[in-house]
Amino acid sequence: MTIAKLMGAVALVTLSTPAWAEQVTINLWTVDRPGEYHYKMAEEFSAKNPDIKVNVRSVQFPDMVNELAKAMATGEAPDVTYIDNPDVALFASRKLLLDMKPMIDKSSVIKLDTIFPGPLASVSYKGGIYGIPRGANTIALYYNADMFKAAGLDPNKPPQTWDELYADAKKLTNKEKGIYGLAFSAAASEEGTFQFLPWLQMAGGDYNKVNVPGGVEALTLWKKFIDEGLASKDTLIRGQWDSTGTFNAGNAAMDISGPWELPRMSKDAKFDFRVALLPVPKEGAPRASALGEGDNVIVANSKHPKEAFKFVEYMYEQMPRVWNEFGYMPAYPVKVDKPNYPQAYEVFNESMKFARNRGPSPDWAKVSKAIQTAIQTTLTGQSSPESALAAAQKSIDGVLSK
Amino acid sequence: MLRFNRVFRDGGGFDSVLVLLALAYLVAFSAFPLIYNLVISFQSVDLFTIATFDRPFVGLENYRDIVNDPLFWPVVRNTILFVGLSVVFQLGIGLALALFFRLDFPGSTWLRGLFLAGWIMPGLVVGAIWGWLLAGDFGVVNWLIQSLGLTQQKIFWLSDPSISIYSVIIANIWLGVPFNMILLSVGLAAIPADVYEAAELDGATRLQRFFTITLPMMRAQLGAVISLGIIFTLQQFDLFAALTQGGPSNASNVLQYWSWELAFREYRIGHGSVVSVFMIIVVIFVATAYVRSTRHEHVV
Repeated sequence: MTIAKLMGAVALVTLSTPAWAEQVTINLWTVDRPGEYHYKMAEEFSAKNPDIKVNVRSVQFPDMVNELAKAMATGEAPDVTYIDNPDVALFASRKLLLDMKPMIDKSSVIKLDTIFPGPLASVSYKGGIYGIPRGANTIALYYNADMFKAAGLDPNKPPQTWDELYADAKKLTNKEKGIYGLAFSAAASEEGTFQFLPWLQMAGGDYNKVNVPGGVEALTLWKKFIDEGLASKDTLIRGQWDSTGTFNAGNAAMDISGPWELPRMSKDAKFDFRVALLPVPKEGAPRASALGEGDNVIVANSKHPKEAFKFVEYMYEQMPRVWNEFGYMPAYPVKVDKPNYPQAYEVFNESMKFARNRGPSPDWAKVSKAIQTAIQTTLTGQSSPESALAAAQKSIDGVLSK
Repeated sequence: MLRFNRVFRDGGGFDSVLVLLALAYLVAFSAFPLIYNLVISFQSVDLFTIATFDRPFVGLENYRDIVNDPLFWPVVRNTILFVGLSVVFQLGIGLALALFFRLDFPGSTWLRGLFLAGWIMPGLVVGAIWGWLLAGDFGVVNWLIQSLGLTQQKIFWLSDPSISIYSVIIANIWLGVPFNMILLSVGLAAIPADVYEAAELDGATRLQRFFTITLPMMRAQLGAVISLGIIFTLQQFDLFAALTQGGPSNASNVLQYWSWELAFREYRIGHGSVVSVFMIIVVIFVATAYVRSTRHEHVV
């Protein structure tokens, strides 16, 4: 009797083993650290789908493109990975990413037409959809309302146009106290391009059309900020995080950066800080803003595209949580109950409507480099805005015509 | 067994094995990468063709692109400035310190050891510390010179294009001095004391002793330290990454950093290889000089 039971149990175990073996493992690469977005998503998804196991591996943000290309070349690529939005075109153009369009068309979860135009453009390439935004971010103008009052400016009327921004920056600059009117980043890195592109787009240009009068106007204004001491010279080598650090410390009265600053700012900034939309060239000019954050993509030769897509769908569904839990803007309109930093959320959410993609170009790194060179040669006085942008246009044309 | 012993323990067999091991190591880890780098410099390589050998050869096109790049000559000039000034000051200060610590005052060996602390720190850490010191708006150096009344204006050490390369050079000199000092101290210690005593008895002044005894007897060490200094300085990458990223507007860009930017930021891997081929040629010349100066060592 007992022996029979035991044998039955053994039989059960042996029978159930094949079922266990069918568990699918998908590999995920991310720029997050343990405890952040992708780690949480993987954990939750695996808990809900015991038959799918998600392995997570962290890669440093600046190394992602290199590592991924290497892995794809040697056949060791993950199934799902994070890619920064301007780099999607690079991989999509070489057919290294899975076109999710057919799966999305059948999906009851992902609705393409609800995604904001900027994030949607960043995952579209020649009619295909090569990723799903995990969230988004954008930039806006932070300002120190206390300093506005002290300088006799109305803290309820942040600058709306470039002229007003310049005038306010001038009034707010206090050289004795070491206070700059404005902090931003013109660094020779992707951050410089990220910050400059919206100015160019508001003035009628874009990544493929930099040599426009509006571009000259924007660069001239940037140069005036530096030359007249309204912004620090270190703007040329400082990223957004460090520039905003000077705003938090009270060494700059206004600052251009994104929502990722808010947790630190609410701790460090001992003043009434507020957020406004980026000023436009002149009243009535079209708005534009930068588009940051990245996308969840599936690698073309993944062995488990179905499971990978299910995971991507799950992450897409979590959009209402991303603001409060992870600090990204939702990439499609969602209702956020009791958002953190409500005033900032409202402005950034409004700004998302104008957020525009960088590119798309499979050679984005080279386009971006040309723009950075134009910014840097102008701000150091090595060339005029006109000739800098003409030179940039020439190299961009060369890159894009290939 | 006996035969085996004869060949491998007493005969030339063991020697050959040792030589072959060293040779195999060199082929695998030095010769192969060098030659591979040379091959890549003649090919059109991007991120997605790094795993295959089958890439289009483009002849000298990469070389032509690099030499005609408007950045080429400014970067070469910066590299010469960086290497030249770094080596001269590292050597000068290192030699002065080595002579100073030879005076044998209480705690001199202890202090000399402490100097090495700077040298064993990773370049990125050194870079971060110098970055704080030299920051334009809230840097320690600016605060110091302003409180001393040396200048009213802030100096933008890292973001002023006419200064930034010198800021990196200053940090690199600081980093390289301890190594120079230690190597030169060893050389100084090897000079027999009786030579100095004899010279002193003959009435040679301190200066005469330095120029007629110390310098000539240190020739081999100086040659070695200068060659190694040039090679180490050409390898210096971390400080650029941490301090200026070659900027602003490439005002502090040097060959080693440019090569990395081309290959891993713009994904023009062939072009990055061209720049490193130029650097290899320089290093081969310097290494030859180094080998010659160490050969002299045996004579001494």
